[in-house]
Amino acid sequence: MSTARKHGDSHSISKELIVQNKLGIHARPSAMFVKTASRFECDIFVTKEEKRESEKIVVNGKSIMGLMMLAAGPGCKLLVRAEGADALKAIEELENLLRRKFDED
Amino acid sequence: MQRDVVTVEKFYTANETPLDLKLVAGASGLKRIIREPTVNRPGLALAGFTRYFASKRVQVIGNAESHFLKSLPNEQRAARYETLFGHRIPCFVFSRQHRPDKSFLKLAEEANIPIFTSSLITMKFINLATLSLEMMFAPRGTELGSMVDILGVGVIIRGESGIGKSESVLALIERGYSLVADDVTKVTLVDGRDVIGTSSDLTRDHMEVRGIGIVNVAAMFGVRSIRHEKKVDLIVTLKLWDQVPDVDRLGMEDQYVKILGVDVTHITIPVRPGRDLARLIEVAAFQAKLKASGYNPASELNQRLIAKMTGGKTL
Repeated sequence: MSTARKHGDSHSISKELIVQNKLGIHARPSAMFVKTASRFECDIFVTKEEKRESEKIVVNGKSIMGLMMLAAGPGCKLLVRAEGADALKAIEELENLLRRKFDED
Repeated sequence: MQRDVVTVEKFYTANETPLDLKLVAGASGLKRIIREPTVNRPGLALAGFTRYFASKRVQVIGNAESHFLKSLPNEQRAARYETLFGHRIPCFVFSRQHRPDKSFLKLAEEANIPIFTSSLITMKFINLATLSLEMMFAPRGTELGSMVDILGVGVIIRGESGIGKSESVLALIERGYSLVADDVTKVTLVDGRDVIGTSSDLTRDHMEVRGIGIVNVAAMFGVRSIRHEKKVDLIVTLKLWDQVPDVDRLGMEDQYVKILGVDVTHITIPVRPGRDLARLIEVAAFQAKLKASGYNPASELNQRLIAKMTGGKTL
């Protein structure tokens, strides 16, 4: 929280994260992602990297159905963008979650 | 969890009409306690073999026993009666309209053991009496919470007072579902697996609505709005939003609470002003019904998703 405050009130941070667990972002990881994201004030948006720009969809990182809709399988690149005071902390936690492979595998 | 003491009197009052019982002797022994929830035909005991005699049960004298006794020489019969009344028997029932003889009645009066007659045939009597005794012996208790039957799903709604239980119940009744119990639900464990909910006899059909007072649901909404008893299928706990830190977002795995030692599906619904609680409880009941039929929407969607992401691998 303290790190975020140093950066001022409103700012946007983006980070590219890679899905590392074997089954991808299915229901349980989605729920974990959403639970983590919901703890923060900032808005969180997630996009999956697609070959064609037209196929890209941006979903709310606090919505289970949204995240599941991405169908982000293992190896997929996700672009996570956080906007708000605690954006930095939020990104850190979400990155940690993906690195931990959602405590799966 | 408690078990009621079942006296002969209780058995008699509950079954006088359905079992067509008539008390013919031993009225002073009505306070005797029935200790086992079943009946016994004392054939072997009458034949003289009294080891393993299940004397704590209701003793049924049917056609066979009756005719056997008649076939005995007087002296021997008297001796067998003597042994029989030496046991602490709760009561005797003569089925098929058979009548005990005078000496039997006399012994019963002396021993303070009630004797009944019934017009039912023995088999029918035994079946009905066993079922009735089973119910009387069933473990019972009370659950704090109102109970509603939602399209065949028995739902107990729990939550702190003032959280909106009664309003939800009222809204559910208005939607056409039936009230089982308001505020306190009496529960009975039947056959060791089904939890049956009912209301106390005194408050049946009534509920309290804050600001209005006591409402007679049957009089106000008609007879379809009430139900005497219903199996408990789902417990819904209403909790203030900020008191639910770990709200279930998927509903993939069922959670349970124990009632009378049996697992009953349990969900927690976070409450916030403006949420239509009745609607949420209704949907929760439908969801429980779907899941009970073997369909879990969350895991099915998940299977589909995983198949798409991994190209065939499943959980």
